[in-house]
Amino acid sequence: MRNISFPRQLATQIALTVVGLFVMLPIWGMARLAFDGSLKGRPTEFRWLPKVWSFDAFMQVLDKPYQSVDFHVLLRNSLLVSLSAALIAILLGMSLAYAFARFRFPARQGGLYALLLTAVLPPVAFMTPLYIILSLLHVRTTLLGLIITYAAFAMPFCIWNMRAAFQAIPKEIEEAAFLDGAGDITSFIFITLPLALPSIAVAGLIAFLMAYSEFTLGWLFVEKSETVTLAMSIYAIVQTQYSGGAQPWSYLGSLAIIMSIPVVIIFLIFQRTLLERMMFGSTAE
Amino acid sequence: MNKTFRSLIYILSILLAVIVAIVLRQRAVANLPIDFDEDDYLRAGQEYAHLIRISDWSGFLETNYRPEHPPLAKIVIGLSLLSAEEKPLVPEAATSAGPNKFLPSVLVKPARTLNAILGVLTVAILAAINPLAGLFLAAHTLTTKYVSQIMLEALPALTSLITATSYLKWKQAKRSGVNGWLILSAISLGLTAASKYLYCVVGIAILADWLLDAREKETLKSSLRTAAIWGLLAIAIFFAFDPYLWPNPIARLGESIFFHAGYASGAAEVEDAGFPIWQPIFWLFFSPRVWHGKVFPFPFDPFIATLALFGLKRLWTKERLYVLWLGIGLAFLLAWPTKWPQYIVILTVPLSLAAAETIFIFGDNLRRWRQTRKTRARVHYNKTEIRRAIPWLVPGLITFAILTLFPLIFQFGVSMTNFNSASIRDGFNGGIWRSISSGLTGKLPTMPANLTAHPDKVNFVGLNSYPEVFKFISYSNNWSILFFNVLWTVFSVLLQCGLGLGVALLLWQRGVRLGKFWQALFILPWAIPEMIGAMMWVNVFQRDWGWLYLAVDKFGESSVFAVFVNALNQNPSLWLAVFLLPAVWYGFPFMMLAASTGLKTVPREVLDAAAIDGAGIWQAFRYVTWPMLLPLLLPAVIVRGIFAFNQFYLFQAFGFRNATLATLSYNVFNPARGFGAAGGQFAISATINIITVILLMIFVLLFSRWTRSGPVRE
Repeated sequence: MRNISFPRQLATQIALTVVGLFVMLPIWGMARLAFDGSLKGRPTEFRWLPKVWSFDAFMQVLDKPYQSVDFHVLLRNSLLVSLSAALIAILLGMSLAYAFARFRFPARQGGLYALLLTAVLPPVAFMTPLYIILSLLHVRTTLLGLIITYAAFAMPFCIWNMRAAFQAIPKEIEEAAFLDGAGDITSFIFITLPLALPSIAVAGLIAFLMAYSEFTLGWLFVEKSETVTLAMSIYAIVQTQYSGGAQPWSYLGSLAIIMSIPVVIIFLIFQRTLLERMMFGSTAE
Repeated sequence: MNKTFRSLIYILSILLAVIVAIVLRQRAVANLPIDFDEDDYLRAGQEYAHLIRISDWSGFLETNYRPEHPPLAKIVIGLSLLSAEEKPLVPEAATSAGPNKFLPSVLVKPARTLNAILGVLTVAILAAINPLAGLFLAAHTLTTKYVSQIMLEALPALTSLITATSYLKWKQAKRSGVNGWLILSAISLGLTAASKYLYCVVGIAILADWLLDAREKETLKSSLRTAAIWGLLAIAIFFAFDPYLWPNPIARLGESIFFHAGYASGAAEVEDAGFPIWQPIFWLFFSPRVWHGKVFPFPFDPFIATLALFGLKRLWTKERLYVLWLGIGLAFLLAWPTKWPQYIVILTVPLSLAAAETIFIFGDNLRRWRQTRKTRARVHYNKTEIRRAIPWLVPGLITFAILTLFPLIFQFGVSMTNFNSASIRDGFNGGIWRSISSGLTGKLPTMPANLTAHPDKVNFVGLNSYPEVFKFISYSNNWSILFFNVLWTVFSVLLQCGLGLGVALLLWQRGVRLGKFWQALFILPWAIPEMIGAMMWVNVFQRDWGWLYLAVDKFGESSVFAVFVNALNQNPSLWLAVFLLPAVWYGFPFMMLAASTGLKTVPREVLDAAAIDGAGIWQAFRYVTWPMLLPLLLPAVIVRGIFAFNQFYLFQAFGFRNATLATLSYNVFNPARGFGAAGGQFAISATINIITVILLMIFVLLFSRWTRSGPVRE
């Protein structure tokens, strides 16, 4: 039938603008700080726009954002930690997910529930147990400790998603390969894995993002400034500023923007697939 | 089961409800301490008793102590006093005064007893409709308390129930005209109004039901006429039983009604109480057992309220009047600024009915499960398949067990000890393990749980801390963290869902300009890492240097910003709204995407055909769009629900607020802020985590069973 009438179009656009303003309000509040070159400490007057437009804060932050640690060190830590955590969660979770998707064995149902239990466990519940494990392994204050922590975070989610992905692949394809003489491992690597790869990649991406933006547990474990990630440094800046620290608030704004941009791009590109995965793959079935 | 047996069971269960009601109310009459307002209403009753004794009937025209409430319930108190000897009038006191502890017990006893008898009658009538609901009402501690004291609740609670049931009797008779039942309903409504105005919400509910009914049957005109007769009769009865109004109806009616408006907005005790908007919901899940532990054996109320939640839908299809009653009553209480606990009594009848429906649903499910269990084939495991599964399971299982399952088990283990900040050295040197292993094997005695003690050695307390901690988070320091947590989850998910669905529907209209642009813009909050988003909002609301506070400095004390900041300072519960803003901001894009993915599956042709057939926008949405949306929205609701329940970073970023307005997760991470003397107890934190897991599992399983969707689907 026809497109909507003009008055309705107008009303719709007005409503969408209101929501748009709601979405933009806090973002703009932060961006205004980031671009303001006049800030010496905290903002002291209300402004819609920066007083003095400048990119200084961005330059500063891209050099040494937190204590005298280079930006590239923080970025490297962030990428190293997030990528490794995602890889561990995916690689070690994969076999488990496959077993749950393909085979019937005793206690399988119970295992699924255990999986769900760990998925609803509040993140703060990981605090003390992981502290103990990491201390026992003598890796608590290192990057490896962070990697293990974030891998633990992401694992239930990854397993659940990959299970859904494997389940979506018809068993018959594998059985055909099996009849032709392929073993379990061969048919998994050459048939199932390539088919499930896109979903696995997205699950990995989400695990990556979890680790990329986590900071609270990080600060519980880390003691040296060389092992700080980007997300942790931004939280540290906020903490020093709350207690009246000397850094201009534009640093916080610009670092927040720099940190968000890659994630925003990823989300804009993969929005549909990310959504499906985040709903435990329920839409895909 | 034959018919006589059934009716025997029915009568026995009514009897059971009535006996429970009598026992509990008798205990309450005898043991409850004197409460606020009891002195006022006793005095009012004394005045009437005196008038009756000296047969001064014209005195009724000028007597109404505490004239903000109509006199009928007070006259009834007066009647009960006739059997007792006359005592000097109870002294007057301001409405804000504390309870008068020195009321003569010869007067208190008959007055309370009569109220309690009315309370038992209410239970009996409800039990005749639905014995299980009668039992719930009998056990409801808040109702028991306020109908067994010298309050004005017992009579209108009874008459409002009669109003509703006789209206339903009339409706079942399927005659459009007036009959005895309808007249009874009108009379009861008039009596209700002459006792306490608040209970008239049942009348509004009846009118709403009437309207819905008339629209369905398209008998609007004749229904309107009958309803008008019913209403006029009720008003006439109200005047007849409110003699105080006779000499000067308009002025005195106005006075008594405007008193409430003034009281609600100005009285000192209302402001002192400082109740937030949602306080009525809190009262629903509250039990006066925390005030009178010796009088009430068990806090049934929160359980009844929780059960009621799940029975609403079935109650609606069975008899929607009750759901309307509950909904309109609750909406009114939420909107009304005065929020005393006794107001809840207007809702407890439909609440009990809804709770009873949940038990029926449960019974049905149990029966169905038992039937299918017999027919379901047992799964046979194939040995070769198990052997093939093992190499796949082992590596993943080991990592999963160490990294993810271990924290869960560890939390469970710690929850069975009294590990705390004082015993941290002992605990990390093997104390936790020692106490659990020796406790489980019985080598060490199981200690009672003590939330405030900080011993320096770890002891085994078994499961003792679970009831203690559950009590602690349900109610401590006049506040319930658990309640806030649930309220927070419900509000934030509902708002996210509403905004997300609304935006998705707007964008889905045909030919909307800039659709792609808007969608990309709205995804931003979802893409920004949660803690950065939270900090952006902190930057707006941070005290003293947030954007909002800077705006107050710039635009002055009379600007919108200043009004908002002042409201926040005066009413801290508004911070809930402030916290909801970022929560909705962060969560609605996810819902929007889920909804628009669902909308893609809706065939436009069907909608067009429905429009040609004369379906309105609402009908088309309700019967075509909504059913196709639901399968995608519900999993999203589960995901967002779990997330909101465990929301942590948002509160951590806003950490300067006091901890009562924060989730369990925040309090577990920062126990020193919220837990007071119980701070530094790692065992409590662990117990809370396990309770959270249990609650969320129940939520996920129930929700996915109920909606047949979600993660647990084979």
